This record gives sequence, C-alpha cells and structure tokens, in this order.
Amino acid sequence: MVAEMGDSGIKNLEELACQWVEEGRKLGAPQIEIYIEDSQGLTLKVYQGQVEELRSSASKGVGVRAFHEGRLGYAYTSGLDDDDVRRAIREACENARYSAPDPHNCLPARAEYSQDDLGLYSPEVEETSVDRKVEMALELEDLALQEDPRIKNVDTTLYADSVYRIALANSLGFCGSYMGSDCHCYISPIAREGEESQSGFSFAVGKKPSDLDLRFTAREAVEKAISLLGSRSIPSRRTTLVLDNLIAAEFLGVIASALSAEAVQKGRSLFAGKLGEKVGSSVVNIYDDGLMHSGLATTPFDDEGVPSRKNEIVTEGFLRSYLHTTYTASRGETDSTGNARRGSYRERPRVSPTNFYLSTGEKSKKEIIGEIDQGVLVLYLVGVHAGANPISGEISLGAMGQLIKNGEIDMPLREITIAGHMLDFLHNITLIGNDLRFIPAMGSLGSPTLVIDGVMVAGRP
Amino acid sequence: MLEMSLVQKILKTSLRNGGDFAEVFLESREGYSLRLEEEKVEENTTGKESGAGIRVIRGESMAYAFTNDLNEKSLLRAAEVASAAARAKTGTVTIDLSLPGEWRQTEKIHFVKISPWEVDREKKLEIARRADEAARGSGNEVVQVIVQLGDSLQKVFIANSHGEAWDDERFRVRIYVQVVAARDGVIQTGYEAPGNLGGYELFETYSPEELGEKAARQALTMLEARPAPTGPFTVIIASGTGGVLFHEACGHGLEADAIYKNASVFTGKIGEKVASEFVSAYDDPTIPKLWGSYHMDDEGTSAQRTPLIEEGILCGYLNDLKRSMRDKVKATGNGRRQSYRHLPIPRMSNTHIAPGKASFEEIISDTHRGIYAKKLGGGEVNPVTGDFIFAITEGYLVKNGRIEDPVRGATLIGNGPRVLENIDMVGSDLDFDSGMCGKDGQSVPVSTGQPTLRVREMVVGGTEEVS
Repeated sequence: MVAEMGDSGIKNLEELACQWVEEGRKLGAPQIEIYIEDSQGLTLKVYQGQVEELRSSASKGVGVRAFHEGRLGYAYTSGLDDDDVRRAIREACENARYSAPDPHNCLPARAEYSQDDLGLYSPEVEETSVDRKVEMALELEDLALQEDPRIKNVDTTLYADSVYRIALANSLGFCGSYMGSDCHCYISPIAREGEESQSGFSFAVGKKPSDLDLRFTAREAVEKAISLLGSRSIPSRRTTLVLDNLIAAEFLGVIASALSAEAVQKGRSLFAGKLGEKVGSSVVNIYDDGLMHSGLATTPFDDEGVPSRKNEIVTEGFLRSYLHTTYTASRGETDSTGNARRGSYRERPRVSPTNFYLSTGEKSKKEIIGEIDQGVLVLYLVGVHAGANPISGEISLGAMGQLIKNGEIDMPLREITIAGHMLDFLHNITLIGNDLRFIPAMGSLGSPTLVIDGVMVAGRP
Repeated sequence: MLEMSLVQKILKTSLRNGGDFAEVFLESREGYSLRLEEEKVEENTTGKESGAGIRVIRGESMAYAFTNDLNEKSLLRAAEVASAAARAKTGTVTIDLSLPGEWRQTEKIHFVKISPWEVDREKKLEIARRADEAARGSGNEVVQVIVQLGDSLQKVFIANSHGEAWDDERFRVRIYVQVVAARDGVIQTGYEAPGNLGGYELFETYSPEELGEKAARQALTMLEARPAPTGPFTVIIASGTGGVLFHEACGHGLEADAIYKNASVFTGKIGEKVASEFVSAYDDPTIPKLWGSYHMDDEGTSAQRTPLIEEGILCGYLNDLKRSMRDKVKATGNGRRQSYRHLPIPRMSNTHIAPGKASFEEIISDTHRGIYAKKLGGGEVNPVTGDFIFAITEGYLVKNGRIEDPVRGATLIGNGPRVLENIDMVGSDLDFDSGMCGKDGQSVPVSTGQPTLRVREMVVGGTEEVS
C-alpha cells in the first residue's frame, strides 16, 4: 500500500491525466479537463471496548469536463479503465451539446502553483498499523468513561483517516498533482443522572494520528454532556449570546455558503450587492486561506487548476471579496479566488470555501464569560441546515447551553431557540475569543468563541 | 455480474480468519441529471459507477472493505482486508460455506412504466422548462428559479455465507423546483421536490407546471408574511410535509442501533404507551413506487410493512440483519446503505402516521389560537433526549377556527415523545413527501408521511415577543 502511494505513483497519475486530455482532443473535444482521484481510507468505530465497525476503502475515479463554444458537459466514471474513461469523455461532449452556451464557461488560464511544502501529507497515516488505530479509539472511549461516573456509555467513538492522490490536466496545458493525508477522531459520550440523559461531543483533526489529543477530546466531550444535566427551558428574552468556538464554526458555514459568488450572482445570497459595504461589526475579520500550512482544506491548486491563495473576505466588518471559481470570476469581471472545489470525482467543481475562518481576538472564553452580566452560552445548535437560511438571512435554531449570570455559569438550558437575522448577528458581534478552532465541514471552518448582543432567545415559561 | 465461483472464493477468503457471517454487495449505478437556473441548462451530467463491498460480522464487530476495481485480484484483496480486520483474538470459527443457490429475484411489486432510457435529453429538458416557466409566470416578484431533474438506475447483487443470493434493479426519478421571490429587500423561498421508485410516469402524477406554481406560491405568500410570534401555541401540522417531524423526532429513535446503544428515548418501551391513542405509525417500503420504496433492502431481506406504534402503544423497532441475528428476532427489511462504499445500518423507508377520522376543516375550526404549519423545512433531533427543531417554511396564524395571516421565520421546538402524547386530532388525509435522509454520513431516499395532525401545545420560536 505504501509503495503504491509513493511519489512514483503520483507522477504516473499525472501522466495518465495528460494522456487522456490528448485522447479527448482526438475524440473531438475542443476543450477538456480530466480530474483523477485515487484514495484509500479507514474508518473504525469502537463500542464498549470492542471494535464495532471497521471500514477500509479503496476508490478511484475520473471526472471529465468538456467545453464546446461556451457549453459545458460533465461525466464521470469509477475506476481508471481506458474504455470507461473514453466513454465518459464522449458522454461529457454529448452533454455539452445540450447545455446552454455561456461565455463564462471556460478553463482557467494556465498558471504556476506553489511547490512549497504545505504540510499536506504525512506518511504516519500509512505507517501506523490498524491495530494501533484501534487502540487509539479504545483509549478515547476509555478516557471518556473514566472521566466521570455519570458517563455510563458512549454513543459513538470513531477514528478515521484517508490518504488521497489528485491529478488534474486540461487542454490549455495545465498538468498537476499532489497527495495528502488527514485523520480525525470523534466521541459522543452520554451522561445519565436519574431518568435524564444528555449527550456531549468533541473531535480532534489533524494530518497524522499523533496530531490527535485524545485526552483533551474525551474531557471536552464529557464536560459538555455533564454540564447539560438538569437543564430546563427559560422564559423568552432578548439577551447576550456566547457561541462556543465549535458552534461558532458551524455557524460560519452558513456565512460561507452565502459568500459564494455563484449564490450572489444568481440572486440567492443575503450578501448580494453588499461588496465594499459594512456587513459586520469592526471586530470581524474573515479569511479564506487555501494555502494554510497543514490546513485540512489546503491544496496547492484548486479543483480546476487555479493556484490556491489566501483571501481577505471581511476586513474590520467590510465585505472585501466573494469566493470565486473561474466561471463566477469571469462573470463578475474579477479573478478566481481559487475556490473551485469538488466533493469527489463524481462532482464538477463548484464554489466552496477552503480553510475559512474568523480570526482571533485576545480574551479567553473564561474571561469573556466573566464580563457578562446576563447571557446564554450556546454549546449545541440544533437545525443549522434547516433553521439558518443563507438566502433570506433568517435564523431560527434550537439550542442547548448554559445561562450566564453575573459573569458565572448559572444553570444548564434546553428547549430554547435563538432567532434573528444573520446580518444583525454579524453587526452585533462585540467580542471575539483567542481560541480559534477548526471543524472538518465544508472544507474546513474555523472560529474562536463569539459574543453577540441583543439576540432573541425563546423558551417556555 | 460476477461468476458464482468467484463469489464463493471471495466469501471463503473473507471468513478464513473466522467470523459468523460474510457478504458480498455488488452495485452498479448509472444516472443522468440536469440543472436549470436562470432559464439556462447549466449542468448536464452523466455518471457511471460500480463497486463491491465485502462484509464480515464477528460477534459485535463488523469489518468492511470496498473497492471500485472489480477484477478478481482487487476483490480478493478486499476480502483479505475484511477478514484480517475481523480476526479473532483467540482461535477461529470454521464455517461451512455452501455454494449460494439460484439467484433469487425478489417478487416485483413496483413496476417501471416509462424507463429513463426511453426519454431523451430534449424531453427531460422540456419537463424542467415547463416547471421553470410556470414558476416564473406566477408573479413579477419571482427572481430566481432552479430546477433539477435526475434519474438513476441502481443494480445490486448480494450473496452471503448463508448460501443466499439476490439481485434487484431500482429506477428512481426525482425533480426539485426551488423558487426565490423578493420584494423591498425581503427574500423568501419555496420548493417542491417529488420523486418515485419508477420512471418518468412521475410526471403523470405531478405535472411540472403544478410543481412550479406551487413552489412559487409558497415564496410569494411568504413575502406577505409577518414575523412569527414566540411562545407556546396549539400547532396544526399539514398532511404530507409534516411526516418529516415524526421521521426525525421519533423514527430515528426506533432504529435498532439507537435502541441497542441505549441512545434512544424508546429503549425498553415495547408494549408501553408512548403516544396518544389517536396515533398509529408504520414503516412500509411496499407502498407502490413511493420514493422510499424497494423490493428488498440492501442485505436481501424482503420489503415489509412494520408496525411501530398502534393506538399509542409501542410495538416494534426497525432492524437489519446484524441486529436481528443478535436479538434472534425477525429481520424487518430495513438494512439499507447509500452505496457499495457504505455498511448497511437500520434505516426507515416510508415511515408514516396512519390516517384518523377528522377532516381538515374540523381540525382548523376546532382551533382557537394556533399556528398552521403548512410546509416544514428540514430539522434536526437529538435522539438521546428526543428534543427537536423544525423550520416552518410556510406557516399561518389560526384564530377562532380560521386560518389567518402568514408568518415567517418560525420554528417548531419540542420533544418527540411529548409531542406524540399531545396529539389530540388526526386527519383522514394521509399524504407523503420525498426526501433524502442522512445518518452516519449515509444518505438514502425516504418518504415521510402523515395526515393533518394537531398538537395541543408546542413552543414556536419566532422573533416577535407576544404578551
């Protein structure tokens, strides 16, 4: 396995991509792009000291984009078989004939990409034995169970990693490849007291198994579960909200999708027409950095061959840039920001954030809570996908957390909702913590603890 | 798809380090999708995929290896990986492997009338255009319409160490129409998204024009809406759309994996009263051609109707092979997976609350002060506590037995079991919606259904304080 994934393997893949581009030309495709993915992965779950599930994967596939006079067609096939790829090339060309012409459909101009070490790959993922990975998961579960007697069981304890090779070539002469690795662990312990059960969660992410801090992860998840025992609702009120960093990061995902230039250009973003305007309070600085060293979404070039870069998205509350692909950039008469990404070879590239984060402030979470007279600390958000609308900006989410009184945690809360408008939330951010943390969602989303003033919290009397 | 002798070799290899059960799942899937936005076809995609997953169960452990290289060498290597992963700490179990018998095709109950292969790209585009034009023609405030149309054929072959083998074919077609309307800086959306286990006869039931108009009407109505009030209300949940609430807030808690881990509020409650006497609920993949239907699940168990709750009494869970073998109960045919890349786990199919006797008019006229949730968006639930939240994408105030002003930005918040106990009226108008259900990183087609229901009291989360 190790030998196959070495440097020689990746070069072969790059050559294959170039060959198929040539082949596509012979088959009559005017402009063509070949994307090859070859990945291997391991996911394992343990439950009550035993391996519950162990999943090993090997997956290869090819995605083909064909451009014909501004018409775009896409096709994909699993495997790397010559005949299948030829068929996909023909299908992509055929699909292009049935698409609408759009002058902005084009390949990016050829550009050189970074050859620096971006910390994408560690051999440790492949060098670590499966047995050792099982031990890590077992240790994580055990740490959670030992942490507090009220932790009676753990719903899910998971370890997962992957190693991937990507090659991309197009008929404008681009030819590139890279390989990367990642791994993460996740735990959701259940705390019980009397009839009541509450769950907590935490995870750790990294490029190699030794990046994962199991002790910290177990402790954080357990503390969350325990802290919610005895929770109840409170009467509705307008109050100050403190979003825990993992929750704030999840929340940032809604902002990231609304900042897609595609959403903006097609009239389905709350940020449409707001470029250059103030969209948040002056403490808000948001970056999208595709080159962040060891970042989970770091790549030397994006999924259509545009070099990755660091973009200033919001600076001191002012909206500086949307996230662009070559298509949206051409349409918006600007440059691509290197945000063309795809979930797998089965998808054509679309606008997606890379390492998208809100930059840190100075205070610790504890100091922040200490400064709040009356407020709600949010530890769980329920319904981020349903209750936060990136088009209208309306937010209405279920939450669990803690009531803050006179700078201290007062009591745990459940069955409350927080509601309002995304832009009001952004404008009312008053304080940002120093605890920036990334979650493996939509590429990679990161945020420190956030304080938002004047939010409507609904509950029951 | 594969030679039987190779299948047997794979099964043998996967059990050579011991194990209670081994299985080969082979899948090929081809599909087409188009996306119309700004009246232009901007995405036109064809895809073809095939792969195999090999599973070994040993006690409580499941090992799985998959590959999309379908040559003998790769398949046997996957089998070796699965067997190594399932390796026993001490000793091995020997299993007598009988050669799988005849391939069994499950009895056909869902028939395809118009195969996607018989409909050319131009016809498909015309369907999308008809929905688009109808939506755009519904009002000047419609600013964007997105139509996605997709079809697929999934072929599966399953063989296991019990000497059983099956194959099946599943055609599915689905359309998604989303409409964005705007006025004076307020943006609202509406959508319709029906699908079926079948072919393009879907559009004999749902005309594209009607879908476009319905989605537009939601968005336009919501432009008129005022901010939703906050606090406890009587809530009437519309037929069809509301089924998603039962699916999320109760259905997931009835899946055997959650039960086993004691991560469900319904653990150990069989035979107990968990809902008001008006409530009966079933999971039924045999309903002809619904989006969540099938002939057999992804482990070869025949589709069947499973009673979950009858007149308020909890009577069953949804399981898969692993859980049914362990608990020595009948498999309910709910072992489903997204693809060959995934392990089967207990999943719902067409979960629904059974119809009652009340008419829609009776339910409304009997309500003094409430919220009518005509369309629900997605939602989320904490299975351990049963707490949930749902967005109301189209909602109205109900006053003195009449439906009044539309309200926007509302959510329903509550607790699954408590809502079940609080249902005090059940309509006779059962209907279903199509959706994709996500669990453990796997997404499978499901239908959710219910008649019009009334819940005595639920918390509505809005932005307006009410006295």
